[in-house]
Amino acid sequence: MNATPLVVAHRLTKVFPMGGGPVHALREVSLQIAHGQYLTIRGPSGCGKSTLLHILGCVDTPSSGELMFDGRNVGSLPDAARSDLRLRSIGFVFQRFFLLPMLTAAENVDVPQAEAGVSRVERRRRTAELLEYVGLAHRASHRPSQLSGGEAQRVAIARALANRPRLLLGDEPTGELDRSNGEHIAELLDRVNRDGTTVVVVTHDATLAERAGRRLSMRDGQIESEEMS
Amino acid sequence: MRSIGFAARSLVRQPGRTVLGILGIAAVGALLFDMLLLSRGLVVSFRDLLDGIGFDVRVTATDSPLPGGVRLNDSHALAIVVAGLPSVSEAVTMRTAGGVVVLGAGKERFVTMTGMDPGPRRPWTLVSGRDVALNATPPEVVVNEQLMSDLAATLGAQVSIRVECDANRASPVARPFGLVGVAQFPFDSEGQGTAAVSFGTLRDACGDGDQADMLMVASNGGAAEAVGAIRAARPDVFAVTNEQIVARMQAQNFTYFRQISAVLSTITLVFGFLLITVLLTVSVNQRLGEIAALRALGFSRARAAADVLAQGAMLITAGGALALPLGTALSIWLDRILKSMPGIPAAMHFFVFEPRALVVHAALLVTTALLASAYPMWLVARLPIATTLRNEVVG
Repeated sequence: MNATPLVVAHRLTKVFPMGGGPVHALREVSLQIAHGQYLTIRGPSGCGKSTLLHILGCVDTPSSGELMFDGRNVGSLPDAARSDLRLRSIGFVFQRFFLLPMLTAAENVDVPQAEAGVSRVERRRRTAELLEYVGLAHRASHRPSQLSGGEAQRVAIARALANRPRLLLGDEPTGELDRSNGEHIAELLDRVNRDGTTVVVVTHDATLAERAGRRLSMRDGQIESEEMS
Repeated sequence: MRSIGFAARSLVRQPGRTVLGILGIAAVGALLFDMLLLSRGLVVSFRDLLDGIGFDVRVTATDSPLPGGVRLNDSHALAIVVAGLPSVSEAVTMRTAGGVVVLGAGKERFVTMTGMDPGPRRPWTLVSGRDVALNATPPEVVVNEQLMSDLAATLGAQVSIRVECDANRASPVARPFGLVGVAQFPFDSEGQGTAAVSFGTLRDACGDGDQADMLMVASNGGAAEAVGAIRAARPDVFAVTNEQIVARMQAQNFTYFRQISAVLSTITLVFGFLLITVLLTVSVNQRLGEIAALRALGFSRARAAADVLAQGAMLITAGGALALPLGTALSIWLDRILKSMPGIPAAMHFFVFEPRALVVHAALLVTTALLASAYPMWLVARLPIATTLRNEVVG
C-alpha cells in the first residue's frame, strides 16, 4: 500500500460569481483520499458535492486552496497537462452516461485508449477485457441507443477504466437508473474498488453510499460528517 | 479513433443535415468555380484566338489593334521592310471590308470580307476545297460554312459579291468570284457570313491604292523583340504583340466581367462561410454534453477543436468536390447564354477552365472552411467542462 495519499485537498474554496451575489459552493474543504479507498459523498442538492468531485477530477479549479494528486500539485498545471492527467490517471462516470451515440459500445471504450496512444492490438485486447469485465461482451457492437440505461452505464464504467486510472469518479452514477440496474452498478463499483482502483462517488442514493468504506456528508459547501467502516 | 473518424461518424449521425450542408456548399462552390472561370475566361479565350492564327505581332497605322480604322499606306513596301527584319519570320498585309453576296431571287446577304494572301499562316482554316490563288480570273473566294449554306452552291460555282470598302462610299457593282473553298474563321460570330479573298483582289476592288488595315507579323520566337525592331525600322507605325493586345482588352473591355466575378465570388464565399459556421455551431451546441464528457475523460482542447475542424474539412471537401461537375455544367449553360450576345466570336468563351482556377478554388474553399470553423472551434476550446456537465444534468 502506498503511504502517500492519492489525493490531498487543502482548504478548497469555490466561489461562483452570480448575478445576485457570489455563491460559495465550497468553503475551505480539506480532504485526503488514500490509494484504494472507496469514498462516497452525500448531501442535499447544492451542497457542493459535485463541485468538489469536479475539482478532485481536475475538470474545475478551486477559487482558493490546493489540490495534490499523487504528490503532485495539480492546481498550477496548464490545461494540456490537466487533460493528460485526466486521460491517464482519472476516470469519470456521469449520471447521463455521455456515451458517444454514433459509436458502438466497443468503440466508446476504445476512444480514451486511442487518445492515449495505445496500440490498436492492445486496445482491442483491453476493450474486449473491459466489456467482459462489465458483462457486456455480447453487446460490443451495439450502439448506445440499443442499450438499456444499466448497460449504457456499464459501458461508461468500462470506458472510464480504459486507461487503468488510479482514481475513478462517479457523479450520481445510479441517478438515471431503476433500483435493479442501480444495484448492478453499485456491485460493479464495489468490484472495481476491490480490484485496486480508488473510487469516489457523489450520490443521493443512500444504499449506494452505504457500500463505501468511507462516507462523507456535506452541507453548505462543507464536510458535515464522516463515517468509516 | 482520430479526428477524421470522429468527424465522419458525427456527420453520418445527422445524415439529413449533412446532405443539406454538402449540397449548400456544392452550390456555393459551383458558383465560386464559375466566377473563377469567368474572371479570366475571356482573356484566355481571346489570347487563344489570337495565338491560334499563328501571328504574334500586329502592325497598324494607329494604336488601335483592331481592323477597320485608319489604314496603313504603302503597305506592300512596309511588309517588305518588316519581313526583312531578322526577328521576323513572316509579314502579311491584311485588309477587311464589307460585302453583299447576291443569293439569287433578289436576295442578298451581308458578309465580312478579309483580303489576305495565303501563305504559311492565315487567319482561317480550310475545311474543304482549296485556298484562293493569286491573280486568278475571275478572282477566287473562300467562304465560311454559314455563307456556304446560305449560298446553297457547290465548290467551283461562281458567286456575285458587291464589295463595300467604306460605309460612306456608294456600293460598286457586283463582281463574279470563283468559289474554291470552305473555311472556318476564328473570329466569326454566330450566324455571321465571311468571305476571304487575296489581298490584291480586295485592294483592286476598293481601288484606293495600296492600303492595308494591318500587317500580320510572325516573329522568330520573340514577339517583343520583333516589335522593338519594327518600331526602330518604322517609327511611323504602331506594332503590338498579342500579349499587349490581350492586356489592353483586359484593362478596358473585359473589366466588367472581372468586377462582376470578384463581387459574386466574394458574396458566394460569405455565404459559404455563414453556412459552414451555422452548421458546425449548431452541431457543437447539440453535443455540448458529449464534448464536455470527452474533455473530462482527457481529450485536450486542441483535440476537441480538431474534431470540429475535421468536420468542417470533410463538409468542404465533399461539397467542394461536388461543386466541380456542378460548376462545369453551369458554366457551359451560362457560356451558351452569354455567347448569344451579338458580335461575340463563336470560338470565344466566357468560362474557360485553367488548372489555376482549380487551385484557387480549392484554396478559397479551404480558407473559408478554416475561417468558418474558427468560431465553433473557439466554443469547444473554451467550453467550461464542469459548468457544462452540471447544466446538462440540470437540463
